[in-house]
Amino acid sequence: MIRIVTLSEFPPDVIDFVSRRLHAAYGMGCELEGEGEIPKGAFDDEQGANDAVKVVEENDDDVALYADDKILYLTSEPLVAPLGPMGHGPVDGYAQYGGGKAVATSHGLSEKGSLPLEAGLAKRAAHFIGHLWDLHHCFDPRCAMHPGWSPGFAQYPEVALCLFDREKSERKIKLGST
Amino acid sequence: MAQKSQEPVIGDGSLHVGDRVVYPNQGICRITGVTVKHIAGQNWEVVTLRREEDGATVMVPKAKVMGIGLRKVADVGAIDKVFDELASPNSDPQLDWKIRHRENAELMTGGGLFGTVEVLKGLHALSRVRPLPPKERELYDSARHLLVGEIAAAMGIPLHVAEDNLDYALWPPEGMKRKGRALPPATLGPPAPSIRVAGDDDLGFADEELAEEPAAAAAPAPKDDEEEEEEEEAGTPPPRAPAHAAPAPAPKKAAASHAHAHAKEHKPAASHSKKAAPKPAPSKKAKKPAAKKAAPKKAAVKKAAPKGKKK
Repeated sequence: MIRIVTLSEFPPDVIDFVSRRLHAAYGMGCELEGEGEIPKGAFDDEQGANDAVKVVEENDDDVALYADDKILYLTSEPLVAPLGPMGHGPVDGYAQYGGGKAVATSHGLSEKGSLPLEAGLAKRAAHFIGHLWDLHHCFDPRCAMHPGWSPGFAQYPEVALCLFDREKSERKIKLGST
Repeated sequence: MAQKSQEPVIGDGSLHVGDRVVYPNQGICRITGVTVKHIAGQNWEVVTLRREEDGATVMVPKAKVMGIGLRKVADVGAIDKVFDELASPNSDPQLDWKIRHRENAELMTGGGLFGTVEVLKGLHALSRVRPLPPKERELYDSARHLLVGEIAAAMGIPLHVAEDNLDYALWPPEGMKRKGRALPPATLGPPAPSIRVAGDDDLGFADEELAEEPAAAAAPAPKDDEEEEEEEEAGTPPPRAPAHAAPAPAPKKAAASHAHAHAKEHKPAASHSKKAAPKPAPSKKAKKPAAKKAAPKKAAVKKAAPKGKKK
């Protein structure tokens, strides 16, 4: 089960759309669990945005998880990631690889050249949930696992996985502890 | 002296119990000890490793530790060079699948960091030209998996951040720089298709796949069909080189010679691409002789078979 926790306000139809797309992409149940807050310590003063890693790691919500449940935090706030070898780049979210929690932001959607809010958030959500199933980035621009900053991501609004990623995620889900 | 006798010597002496190492094709492991196992009537001294990803235990005969390419996790300096390499402009991908497969297999089993980078970069460049066949798609994924794991382990950053940074180099977003040099932002289409089309013809790849590529890039075609084509292609060795020796009308002749084998692929190719639309007439003409040539052979075989059975 994928459990959605909103950290910002979203219209109900957007959440509904995201849940439906996630269900279709992974064949798992998906429901809105409730609302939460971004941890206070997650704000990065230097960059003026929330540290995506801290948003996930330090979030102490009381969502009950069973076995293979995954939590997806949705926010509209801008996110940043820790400094890597390539410096700072665009960050749409963060996921614990092979873990249970991920965050996706709607920040930057509906702007010029990007996807509309519903489709963009659903595709980003599917992307970060995919990382929870150990999926890596995909070169196919039609796949939800394609890097979010690439022009291909905005080109295809459909929330779908390529055959390789679909099979890999299905395998992982089947091998899950439940 | 007493300490040296207690500390088991692993490999060439550079590895110690507790070290984080890279096991080729397995990922990041930690050496947990050296034990003696009784296997098939013999006592084997084995090095036990714990795979960090899932906690699986891997045992390697002590004598083979260096042979399999076990090595320490790369340092930050090496990772920096990896990113220099990733951010450098793509070289032309190897289009001959036989050579490519052999080279990639050698690089992956070697277990070297830069070998994995080379495999990933080569397949990434190829993926911009044409879809990867399933086996190579798998190899691309495992190379990426190994590299992301090592970058994260070496730099002490989460796996997700490591992969994002890897792709900042492979698919640079706008404004991305590497050591002060601006990287060209990623584009949707292949970087230089014209060069590769010529090379691909020479190397025996099916021409119709090249014709289908632009159509696939323009519109989201059904994926199952694509994968089927890839599978067929992956299982299609290039014994067709002689057919491509003919100079000018090579594509049509080749299409004619492959008409029997790829009859299914020709129809969607013609229906997809506008450029291919006016071609059906000559290609049909070309197909007929091929069918005529093929028909007697088949008939002869069919006729011969029952005779043999009767006798």
